[in-house]
Amino acid sequence: MTGFDLGALDRTAYVLILQGLLMTCKLAAASLFWAALVGVIVGTIRWSKLPAISQLCLAYIELARNTPPLVQILFWYFSASVVLPEWAFMRLRNAGYEFSAAVVALSLYHGAFIAEVFRAGLNAIGRGQYDAARALGMNFWQMMTRIVTPQVGRLIAPPMVNEAVALVKSTSLALAIGVAELTYEYKQIDNFMFRGVEALVVVTALYLVLCLILSQLGRLLSNRLAARHTAIIEVTA
Amino acid sequence: MDWARVWTGRNWERLLVGNLFTNGEVGGLLLTMEIGLLAIILSTVLGALLGILRHSRRRLLWVPAAAYIETLRNIPLLILVFWAYFVPPYFGVQTSKFGSVLGALTLFTAAYIAEVVRGGLLAVPPGVVDAGRALGLSRSQNQLRVVLPIAFFNMIPALSGRYVVAIKNTSLAFLIGLSDLTEVGKEISNVLMTSPVEVYVTLMLIYFSVNTLISHAMRLIETRRRFGRIFVRL
Repeated sequence: MTGFDLGALDRTAYVLILQGLLMTCKLAAASLFWAALVGVIVGTIRWSKLPAISQLCLAYIELARNTPPLVQILFWYFSASVVLPEWAFMRLRNAGYEFSAAVVALSLYHGAFIAEVFRAGLNAIGRGQYDAARALGMNFWQMMTRIVTPQVGRLIAPPMVNEAVALVKSTSLALAIGVAELTYEYKQIDNFMFRGVEALVVVTALYLVLCLILSQLGRLLSNRLAARHTAIIEVTA
Repeated sequence: MDWARVWTGRNWERLLVGNLFTNGEVGGLLLTMEIGLLAIILSTVLGALLGILRHSRRRLLWVPAAAYIETLRNIPLLILVFWAYFVPPYFGVQTSKFGSVLGALTLFTAAYIAEVVRGGLLAVPPGVVDAGRALGLSRSQNQLRVVLPIAFFNMIPALSGRYVVAIKNTSLAFLIGLSDLTEVGKEISNVLMTSPVEVYVTLMLIYFSVNTLISHAMRLIETRRRFGRIFVRL
């Protein structure tokens, strides 16, 4: 083998890696958005203990958390044409179908974890506080913004950040269905330019930087939220 | 839905043990469990060691442990598997697929278990440590007989979560061409061509059963306090 030489990666290789990085960021951002949405909705339903639908959500959470994300990605990719109604599948296929399948799989997988985090956060506030807010004449929106969010926010920020980092790492699995993200581009460079080790070093460093930036931002956010110990109460004379 | 085509005797045999009975190659669920359980045992040992180092107050001990944990927790496992499989040949060391996946999974899981162990040690009330010392236990006796059993039971729920993740992560083995459960399922799906839903639902159900079994076993250990005696016998 020839020696290790980062200079051996030419311009084309770096362009490929940057494209991969961009795709990883896009995939992570889209999945994070949908996962948060799924998580908040499912978490609230689980917290509310609505009879049938809450059981259904529990089944979804257990199934999503106990099966490999890779199998879920393969499932959504290969079964999309069967599971989805035809019009939806046709629209998906036109919009770049691997990417959509990966987003669906990753947001359902991480959504289940976020739902449990969110439910735990809501449970941490005593039921008495909700009754008290009601008794003070607050409407639902006021209750959420003044009572729930300030307390839940700082509780769930650290596990949410962990989940976001885990999601960025999970995007590497989209390689299995051919989404051209960072890991996929590494394989391309390995296969066609025979500079696997150099590309692997660069790609690893990029993942490391991406995840560290994300967790530092998260730590900053957690600290800021933790600094506010009580709900902001506007006193009007 | 055509479950009869997927749930044939031959397909179940391949899903559960691979080609063990035809050409002696272990595969399917058996291979998945082999990698998963070995990785769980090895990473628990390594993770406990790292966690104790991370908990130490000596800079020389906790800084390297923290660096290891932070690095491994911030790169995808798949990248680590590629490192373990493609980089050693570069230096003239031959790698096996099984060894690479096992090694990568062990190193990766150990970083998470180290954090669990550290959390468990931090959660032991300082008063308990002082009480042990006041009763005349030596520092090591105190750690082994008082601190570790308490920390161990605190850690079980988090550990069980990490073990489930480890089993789930064995599915990455198929990406470097090992015939684990996921790979066998994919092969079956490719041959049948028309029943992906049935095949992947079957895969999910198998993984789900195994992981639920592990969670329940861990919960059983948690409720049986006599498991704490293993520390007294050490």
